[in-house]
Amino acid sequence: MIPDTVTNRYRNEYDRVFARLPGGPGPAGERQHHLARFMETGFPHPRAEDWKYTSLQPIEKREFKLADAAGNLDPAHVKALIPDSLDAYRVVIIDGHYVPEHSLIDGLPSGATVDSFANYLGSNEGTIQSPVIKDEPGSLTDLNAALVTDGAYVRLANNVALDKPIHVLTIATADQADQMNQVRHRFELATSAEATVIEHYVGLGESAYFTNVVTEVVASANSKLTRCRIQQEGKRGYHIGSFYAHQSRDSRIIDHAFDYGARLARTGTNTRLAEDNAEVHLYGVYAPTGRQHIDNHTRVDHATEHGISREIYKGVLDDHGRGVFNGKIIVHPHAQKTDSDQAANALLLSDKAEVDAKPELEIYADDVVCGHGSTVGQLDEAAVFYLKSRGVSEDGARAILTYSFANALVQMIGLQPIERFVESALLAKLPGGASYADLA
Amino acid sequence: MLDIKNLHAEVEGQPILKGIDLQIPTGEVHAIMGPNGSGKSTLASILAGREDYEITAGSVDYSGKSLLDLDASERACEGIFLGFQYPVEIPGVSNLYLLRAAVNARRAYRGESEIDAMDFMKQVQTTVEQVGMSMEMAKRGVNEGFSGGEKKRNEIFQMLLLEPRLAILDETDSGLDIDALKTVAKGINHLRSPDRSTVLVTHYKRLLEHVVPDRIHVLAGGRMVRSGGPELADELERYGYAGLEDEAQQASAVS
Repeated sequence: MIPDTVTNRYRNEYDRVFARLPGGPGPAGERQHHLARFMETGFPHPRAEDWKYTSLQPIEKREFKLADAAGNLDPAHVKALIPDSLDAYRVVIIDGHYVPEHSLIDGLPSGATVDSFANYLGSNEGTIQSPVIKDEPGSLTDLNAALVTDGAYVRLANNVALDKPIHVLTIATADQADQMNQVRHRFELATSAEATVIEHYVGLGESAYFTNVVTEVVASANSKLTRCRIQQEGKRGYHIGSFYAHQSRDSRIIDHAFDYGARLARTGTNTRLAEDNAEVHLYGVYAPTGRQHIDNHTRVDHATEHGISREIYKGVLDDHGRGVFNGKIIVHPHAQKTDSDQAANALLLSDKAEVDAKPELEIYADDVVCGHGSTVGQLDEAAVFYLKSRGVSEDGARAILTYSFANALVQMIGLQPIERFVESALLAKLPGGASYADLA
Repeated sequence: MLDIKNLHAEVEGQPILKGIDLQIPTGEVHAIMGPNGSGKSTLASILAGREDYEITAGSVDYSGKSLLDLDASERACEGIFLGFQYPVEIPGVSNLYLLRAAVNARRAYRGESEIDAMDFMKQVQTTVEQVGMSMEMAKRGVNEGFSGGEKKRNEIFQMLLLEPRLAILDETDSGLDIDALKTVAKGINHLRSPDRSTVLVTHYKRLLEHVVPDRIHVLAGGRMVRSGGPELADELERYGYAGLEDEAQQASAVS
């Protein structure tokens, strides 16, 4: 009899489903290796420095199961989740399974591959072993490697620039209690390739579920990836997102993250500027309300010279919302001429909301510019009064000013349907905010 | 239109208004002058509904309603407008959005439907021309990157579009060059009519040469110490407030 420990539950689940997991014998061997590593380390220890403010106990307590198939959704339902007038290729993953009927990958330019991660794993070159994750990854990334069922796979050949964004819509129907989604996306951009990817997570049902997603990016020389991550998990959803990117010389990654949903969300966004003159921009808006807990950890490794990193995270916290931001920047010994700037700002709309925002700079080179700043504040009461004196209600004034606070980051997306979508989704979270949705 | 009786207000236990009595009849323009720190801006803010002050005594009647029972947005919907001494910047929220929200808040308050977008834009077009603002400025974020003068011009723009019954302008003339001042004055005069009233809180006589008030009141040390016709401005300019502050101090010593 195997004792009912947290890790054993996942081993049992692996035993239950392994025959159906995608990929040939190669990936199967890799899965076992990662499972063994997960069994060894288990969930992150609550006393680990990186997990000081976020406890995964609610996840550990439950017994999550993978869904055998995608839940049924009619096309109108899926359409309702898509940002208005967004013209994009689309990869739809429901309950951890790619659903071709809802997806749209016709008419891709030559040299562009967009497929499901399962199909990729089943191909000759399919491998779970990441081209990106070199250091010791977190154990949840190991767990994902052992159990991954599907995701999006994108590969762009040299000089291919996609004419439209790719909308990767990951839906949890949460039809059944304690469902788990182990999803992996991989984006490989060859030299001078260019793409915009919208990673979008939505939860529908009322049951508790667990989405554990890993995104890997290979940004080859002179390539450019714009990534928008919109997290709208359901109110009983647990979302763990791990992003790993490897950037070659002259590559650019622009990351726009919007964390609105989930009971508990924790994302780790890691990029390595591995060659000279690589550039990364990390912009994030997180908005825990009610009793939500949203934790964003970012890490930029400046490994060589002339790297550029720009980072701005803004928190909007209402009710008992709890936010965590930790921005680690490591400037390695040979990373001279690094140009880095980080800002973390938080707006507390309620005196019960709480945020821990921490810059973490480790600088081992001397000829660098590394700026950072952090603010936590409340709405400017003079501005609230100004708006009220024009006739706007108290709630309206607060919604408008919150919108204004987040707006600068939204504007940077440069893709109107997404800008409008993330702005109205933010307003919809605020009392009375929905009536100001046309601000967006 | 406005009847203030024995209004006392304080901030953190510090009395600022010490018994204000003031009547503004419908159709009149009144100026409130006085030295710095006399309570002029406090009075203007209290009338518009700012909640940082504690009203310890007195009443304010506005067209038969007790003004102090309404919150700032209700007062705005009832036709009160405050032109701010320091207008607030709200980046990313366009002026026009705010104004449309303001117009529609008033309409909702009166049980009317939202304004037609075309009608609104027509009004905007006319008003923009009146205050010599560009359409581009009207569409920009509220006061975003505006100079001091542009902010004040924008206050007048908002006032003209919202057509208040009672406009209270808190030092809208301070720090303006003469051209901007004339625009501001033109806006105020434009709104002058038998069914509207205006309160000009000002430090300088210059505005009153362009907008001749029906009455001038002098506020010093939290009390109204003098009232008179437009000629009072000349006297104040000639002799300053020095004597008045003494009067105010004597008055508080007595009380």
